[in-house]
Amino acid sequence: MSYKDKIKSDLFPTIWCPGCGIGLIMTQLAMVMDDLGLDKTNTVMVTGIGCTGRMGAYMQFDSVYTLHGRTLPVAEAIATVRPELNVIVVSGDGDLSSIGGNHLLHAIRRNPRITVLCNNNEIYGLTGGQTGPTTPVGTKTVSSPAGATYSPVNLQGLVNTNANAFYAKTTVYHQGPMRRAIKEAIEWPGFAFVDITSQCIENNGRRIGFPSANEMLNYYKKEYRTAPPGATQLANHQLGIVKGHAAEPAVPAGAGAAKGSGEA
Amino acid sequence: MTKRLLQGNEAVLLGAVKAGASYFAGYPISPSSEVLMAASVHAASHPEFRFLQAEDEIASANAIIGASLAGAKSFTATSGPGFSLMQEAVGYAHKVGVPTVFVDVQRVGPATGMPTMPGQGDILQTRYGSSGDYTSIVFYPSTVAECYEYTIRAFNCAEESRSPVVLLTDAFLGHLNEVVDLDSIDVPIVERTLEPLASGHTRLFSGVATYPDGEPATADADEFIRQYEEATALRLAVAERYSFYEHGWNTDSDTLVIAFGITRRIAQPLAPHFALFRPIRIWPVLQDQLREIAPRYKKIVVIEGSDGQYASVVERVLYRDVYRVPLLGGRMSLEAVREGLDRIGLLPRELAETAV
Repeated sequence: MSYKDKIKSDLFPTIWCPGCGIGLIMTQLAMVMDDLGLDKTNTVMVTGIGCTGRMGAYMQFDSVYTLHGRTLPVAEAIATVRPELNVIVVSGDGDLSSIGGNHLLHAIRRNPRITVLCNNNEIYGLTGGQTGPTTPVGTKTVSSPAGATYSPVNLQGLVNTNANAFYAKTTVYHQGPMRRAIKEAIEWPGFAFVDITSQCIENNGRRIGFPSANEMLNYYKKEYRTAPPGATQLANHQLGIVKGHAAEPAVPAGAGAAKGSGEA
Repeated sequence: MTKRLLQGNEAVLLGAVKAGASYFAGYPISPSSEVLMAASVHAASHPEFRFLQAEDEIASANAIIGASLAGAKSFTATSGPGFSLMQEAVGYAHKVGVPTVFVDVQRVGPATGMPTMPGQGDILQTRYGSSGDYTSIVFYPSTVAECYEYTIRAFNCAEESRSPVVLLTDAFLGHLNEVVDLDSIDVPIVERTLEPLASGHTRLFSGVATYPDGEPATADADEFIRQYEEATALRLAVAERYSFYEHGWNTDSDTLVIAFGITRRIAQPLAPHFALFRPIRIWPVLQDQLREIAPRYKKIVVIEGSDGQYASVVERVLYRDVYRVPLLGGRMSLEAVREGLDRIGLLPRELAETAV
């Protein structure tokens, strides 16, 4: 088997713009899936709305293309009903942390065994480049002509509100660290969130001064540094994995209630 | 034969379990919370039954969709405001073809309204609440025993129609306690119709318009219409097998009362004076039955817990005016029915004389 068997390459070219970072995530995910033996009998993809949400259509798995913001309740229910499955959520920063923010907060709290890959391009790309919840302060976008006003959401801080959760930070430039992060996230016994900084050249990068996707990737290369070993908190522009205590996820009510019997 | 005292909301849970449900997600909301609580109690002693008290109704509705796709018969219970929050997911389940059941225990709306008072104001929400075109199938029982029976039928119908089926009740019926014999209600169970996720396929369950191979079909009217007509045909054909209604009382009367859910029970003292048509399948509207029965009567009165939601549907179907007795603000009582009939000059003398 090869990682290419995980991808429906007959549907190429994809709808993603030239220079988009999402394909780099899909390739690394496919490689990890191949390494770990994930296939269409043991794995389900769940994707949200936005450019990233298209990924499910390009992969050789059953895939649920949910409503905008609703990947996590769908994924969590799948993991509850079928705990033996690998449930992999792939979506964007806007889908996961803005419209889906309440679900993110509570999925972190409940710690289901699902893997979340967040394509964090700091913008609403599909709708044309509006400010997102992750857009850095001061960034000029089509909906913040004077620069984004508010601080971006602290994804690491949110995930770390559960001491059992897994948070990893990488960029699409850093292919090795991204692959390690995805692999460890899938192997993690609870909620695992991989925050992947990625370029949207068409609807963000060019407006903030990057002539091409290549310059954006080079910027990630220059700016991002690997966190020191054993770091429990990643600073801004640090790559790494912060793992909580690997507790087994809380058993959903009904799933393991050994006590009691009889009629309802 | 085992007789027992049972509440409408609890009967819904028992019906769901009987139908084979193994996943409930919900968010507490009056007057439906007993369904959620009963589900949690059931889950505590039945490991195969999974329960989630979710962060909100949006999560609940999407969770039951995920659970159904994963292989579980699933359901939620809510009331008007919560059902409003679920509407986008209802549309998704219609688009994707997800069998699942939404229970709406109606209260008085709009907005937070009168949380513990009964209403019937979600008739149109259950038909048109989500955006776009789709075919809703909705049942509305009138007794606690029927809450049990039609919950089972709702699950069966969801499987057959591959769609989210709605069971409507109301605060009155949900909290009503009646003696029932569940063993006497024998409804065959329809098994799962949807192959669960990760069965070796590469299907795309997409709320976005797509071709069967997963490519976007977001600008192809022909493909959209093909899929829409296919879904509509299936759901109408299945609904046809669930054309439940009641036609009775005094069929020699020149006046037909239309009442459903708890309102039919409240109006029972009218039985000697009027004929009754009670739709149990609220949607799709029982058009053929109404068109066959209505011409026998000079006058039609729709008594309902909203300001004419179902009456307007009857008028559209029959092309004729009907009298309306709206029971508003939670005043769902025989007294309110009497007042309403008196206002339109249709209160029978005997009922006026016995009025308290």
